[in-house]
Amino acid sequence: MSFDPIPYDLFDALKHFLTVFGSTMFIALIVCLLVGVLTRGVKGIGDVFLGILDFFNQITHLSCRRIWSLSTLTIRESLRQKILFVFIIFAVLFMFAGWFLAGAADRPDLQIQSYIDFVLKAISWLVIPIILLLSCWSLPEDIRLRTIHTVVTKPVYRIEIVIGRMLGFTLLGSAILLVMGTVGYIWINRQVPESVQANLVSKVPIYGEIKFTDREGAPSAGLNVGDIWMHRSYIEGATKARAIFTFKDIDESDAINDELNLQSSFEAFRTHKGNMEKGGILYQFIFVNKDKGLRVDTAPLINKEYLENRLKINRKIMHESEDGKEKVEVDIFDDLVDDNGNLTIEVQCLEAGQLLGMARSDLYIRTPDHAFISGYSKAIFGIWLPMVLVIMLGVTISCFVKGPVAILTTMTIVLVGFMSKEYMAEILSGKMQASGAIEAWYRLITHMNSQTPLPDGPVKFMIQIVDMGIINFLWLCQQIIPNFGIFSNMREYVIKGFDVSWDAALLPGIVTVAAYILPCLIVSFYSLKLRELEAK
Amino acid sequence: MDNESVIQISNLTKIYRDFWGRKKVRALNSLSLEVKKGEIFGLLGPNGSGKTTTLKLLLGLLFPSEGEIKVLGQPASNVEKNEHIGYLPEESYLYRFLNAEETLDFYGRLFKMSAEERRERSAELIEKVGLGHAKKRQLKEYSKGMTRRIGLAQALINNPDLVLLDEPTSGLDPLGTDDMKRMILELKAQGKTVLMCSHLLADVQDVCDRIAILYGGELKVMGRVEDLLKEQDETQILTSRLSDEAIKEIEQVVAKHNGKVGTIDHPTATLESLFLKTVQESKERPGQRFVPDTQEKKAAE
Amino acid sequence: MNKLTSKHRKLAYVIAIIVLLIPVIWLGMPSTGEEGSGGELAKLRVEHELGESTLGDVDPSSASMNFVLLGLRGIATNLLWMDANEHQKKKEWAKLRSTVDSIILLQPHYMKVWDFQGWNLAYNVSAEWDAVEDRYFWVKEGIKFLNEGVTRNERFPELDWKVGNLHGQKVGRSDEWRLFRKFYKVDPDTERFENGPDPEINPERLDNYQVAKEKFLLANEKELKHKQHLQMRMLFRSAPWHAQFDYANAMQREGKFGKQRTDAWDQGFKDWTAIFGREEFISPKGPIVLEWSEPDIKNLAKRDNVSEEDKRYWTGRYQNMVNYLFWRTRAKSESESDTIDAHKSLYDGEQLFRKAEFDEAKAELEKGMALYAKVLNKYPSLIHEDLAIEEGLQAIILWRYIHELKGLKLPDSFPLKPLWIKEQGRVPILESELRQRFGIQ
Repeated sequence: MSFDPIPYDLFDALKHFLTVFGSTMFIALIVCLLVGVLTRGVKGIGDVFLGILDFFNQITHLSCRRIWSLSTLTIRESLRQKILFVFIIFAVLFMFAGWFLAGAADRPDLQIQSYIDFVLKAISWLVIPIILLLSCWSLPEDIRLRTIHTVVTKPVYRIEIVIGRMLGFTLLGSAILLVMGTVGYIWINRQVPESVQANLVSKVPIYGEIKFTDREGAPSAGLNVGDIWMHRSYIEGATKARAIFTFKDIDESDAINDELNLQSSFEAFRTHKGNMEKGGILYQFIFVNKDKGLRVDTAPLINKEYLENRLKINRKIMHESEDGKEKVEVDIFDDLVDDNGNLTIEVQCLEAGQLLGMARSDLYIRTPDHAFISGYSKAIFGIWLPMVLVIMLGVTISCFVKGPVAILTTMTIVLVGFMSKEYMAEILSGKMQASGAIEAWYRLITHMNSQTPLPDGPVKFMIQIVDMGIINFLWLCQQIIPNFGIFSNMREYVIKGFDVSWDAALLPGIVTVAAYILPCLIVSFYSLKLRELEAK
Repeated sequence: MDNESVIQISNLTKIYRDFWGRKKVRALNSLSLEVKKGEIFGLLGPNGSGKTTTLKLLLGLLFPSEGEIKVLGQPASNVEKNEHIGYLPEESYLYRFLNAEETLDFYGRLFKMSAEERRERSAELIEKVGLGHAKKRQLKEYSKGMTRRIGLAQALINNPDLVLLDEPTSGLDPLGTDDMKRMILELKAQGKTVLMCSHLLADVQDVCDRIAILYGGELKVMGRVEDLLKEQDETQILTSRLSDEAIKEIEQVVAKHNGKVGTIDHPTATLESLFLKTVQESKERPGQRFVPDTQEKKAAE
Repeated sequence: MNKLTSKHRKLAYVIAIIVLLIPVIWLGMPSTGEEGSGGELAKLRVEHELGESTLGDVDPSSASMNFVLLGLRGIATNLLWMDANEHQKKKEWAKLRSTVDSIILLQPHYMKVWDFQGWNLAYNVSAEWDAVEDRYFWVKEGIKFLNEGVTRNERFPELDWKVGNLHGQKVGRSDEWRLFRKFYKVDPDTERFENGPDPEINPERLDNYQVAKEKFLLANEKELKHKQHLQMRMLFRSAPWHAQFDYANAMQREGKFGKQRTDAWDQGFKDWTAIFGREEFISPKGPIVLEWSEPDIKNLAKRDNVSEEDKRYWTGRYQNMVNYLFWRTRAKSESESDTIDAHKSLYDGEQLFRKAEFDEAKAELEKGMALYAKVLNKYPSLIHEDLAIEEGLQAIILWRYIHELKGLKLPDSFPLKPLWIKEQGRVPILESELRQRFGIQ
């Protein structure tokens, strides 16, 4: 699974936002004051603060009536520009998609995945570029044709024009998304073969926390078997090594038909061939309730790799008592969930010399399914969010550059945000050796390899100070670029048949978009305020 | 006449700069003028003399390099003053995908006007500028003259106190020009202040109370139109057609009074009045060729 | 600067355009389909059979994809390739498969892509899965993928060879060969294939080596028209006949000693000597044949005007290169009753050992060893080949182990003792393999 549903730390995110936002604003203020003093003398300082005041003044006096009027104008403009032709492309795509997708895989469950993947990708790849073009093009065009002259000479704040555009495009995009989403939903329902209609649901998982113990039973981080992908950690079979999953807040409502549903997808690593014909390595679950001193094993299970192993356990389990003489019935929800509402499940690999690998997301409790529409609509919402972000960025950028430049800039930001966010983070984390710009130059010129430490002295000190400054500045720049990767996560959930997690996907998406509202408004406010709309 | 001043410009200078902040053009050089309430003020000058720049500075589309502007008692950058201003740009920069009604409705919404008010006002204005037949057509299908008309209607949607007109008659046929001039005078009659700039001198002469002539960004002449044009030491007599003897007699009379005859000839009508008359006649008697008031006509009679 | 008027400038542009168009048209005009029509490039394309349709089947979606991407398909392919690696790293197999399919849409005639990814699916991906059925599924995916490559590319005998290799070596020689060979005839997806094989892999329900042989034969046929760059020509062309030997060998590994096996060896001998052995291969001293008689050498030497010595020398060298004589002897010996009995006894001994019937096993092994020693005496060239050596050594190891278990003293002399002494170097590895196979600690 490519997604690891880690709950989003809202407080941390807020702190992060304030750091980035605060420092950017601080730098901007310093630069403005400097420029002000240089060009206007002492009066410049006053002007800067008046300008800041003006933002708050206008932002608090916005008129919904005017914004709405400008929004409808935006929508009307787009409609008259034949934006709805996009539906023709959409229709054509969908008419023939069935031909190309059918039979792409022999297995109907994978087939569903490719249908959903196709629908969601088609929608986002149609809507987002078009919206990007529209939002980047419209304001510069307005300025170029000077139609904006007749608007700004009315009692309209310039920021209202910006907000009106953003709102207009958002509404338009939402309507298009809604239509496409509905068509897509119907299409999926019709394409998916009868036999696997039951798979078309949104699974609702509860993920736990994972800990490992080593072969002696002491806490550890699990074994590494040398896989390039460091996602999973391994436990050794027939030893005291365990993976311990703790699930919070488990109660009866999480059962399906009085059964606890555990779904797992572990990976096997064999140190010897063992018995190949069984189809997988043996393992078992052990329910642990420390409060009551209970340890209840399940029967040995065979691990099928890369498949969802679904285990339904009746809530009443027969269990041998301590002394091993009599059988006692225990109830999972009444007896095995501890006093804090936690359910602890240990995973043990049963075969000597074989290892079983797992990560946090590899074992979850499946609670009653939601309808497919629940996850699907959230995935559509997951297209809506980046669309809104693109609109905000596009309109903001088009406030200070011309149309084609705005398109290129926005596109670059989106692409960088999609693809190289991780790469940049890696460079700027300082973990890479000799990654400072000046240091790299110094090494290039002096033919020094990156392993040799820099010679001590003032040169080293200077280089480090300057590089620190550069890296911090670049870090800030990198932080400003939105992480578009967050949104594609939501699609992953639905493709894999899950409901979209609020904690791990929706919330971060919403927060990411929300974080850009104020900065976008500030940037567009000042770029329009300081701009003579005459420029050709 | 009320002496309250509507526009006050003092020492206004505008310098266009290039991207690097280097001076490119000095478009206005310490211009000072004042427009009083209720008058029609004309800004004249050849192309590039700074007329439009002045208007745009007044509207806050451009920012002054130096000097001060007060419009309706407020600085030019203040947006609230626009509540009482109407502006007709040089070319009607309107949204070409809207029709006349939608255009007026859209601009109306930007003011504090109720839906009812907007509907009435736009219907009234469309009739007034004579676009009743084309109100459902998109602006991109309009001719130049029609766009000027809808542009004017747009400028008047909020019943402004101050109307700024940039080349109001450019691109209009004489009929349209006449309509435009009539409407400008009507505005004056309603007590509104009009500031227009133009290089079509005849139009200015016909409607303006006061004019200022700009050249190279500097104010060259300013004053009332009659005052500026009145030739103090000449008298003009206009009579019905006279015989040669009669002319001689008049010359003698003039000489007797120590006067001097300049030119005596048969005045020609302006082409404009001929054109207007022709159109008028054509409307009254369709299908007939118009015969101008000339000697042949008289001879025929 | 120049002071051309706008008219002159425009004229200059027009002239420049025309001048630039001339080579474009001269080089790039597409062919109308007639011989010699079109521009230089089109002619060259026809001459060297580089046109899309001469390379193999044209997939319309692939062609349109290339058109849409204009010149960017190289970049797009690279990006997809990186994606594929990423999917493989994260073990998203379905995505890996579909990404590979997209790469193929872009580069349908680039042999390395087919070769590498077919191998990747059948070997690397297959090995990642734990259950043997799943492993087999991915071997099939690899074969299907390469089959697709074969239909799209008529000019790569290598691809046919690789397909044959997957059918033969991957299915028949993996650690899981017993199950793979079973699945080859009865697919684990019994519901879908109704207890039969996957028709895309094995439509006629043959042995995997028989199918491999067919594929290798196709490769050989193509190789006559299009040069292969995989390995030495003689080795390349020996593949189908080796598949025949493997087929026969596999049967006896599975304990089938009936007529079918003997016929297969017989057939193998005929193929090897009558077809492969009579083919002419070019040596530095002109063509040679591996299955030769005196007149052959004389005729060839005369024809090519080289000495008989040279011909003899190169024939010998070439024979060594493909182990010609060994296989000839082996195939011949395998149809003799002594050899069959030797193999059967050794096999039975091993089976009895597995069932822990040690006394019976010991008796069978001793019988087999005696017979096997006889065969080796008769055909001494056999003791230069791995399989033959290992068969003997294995029997001795088991036989010695039984002595150890029973606390018996090893006799001083036993059949195959010379082999045992000569090949001591191989014993430790073989022993540990046997331990694993029989679960001996």
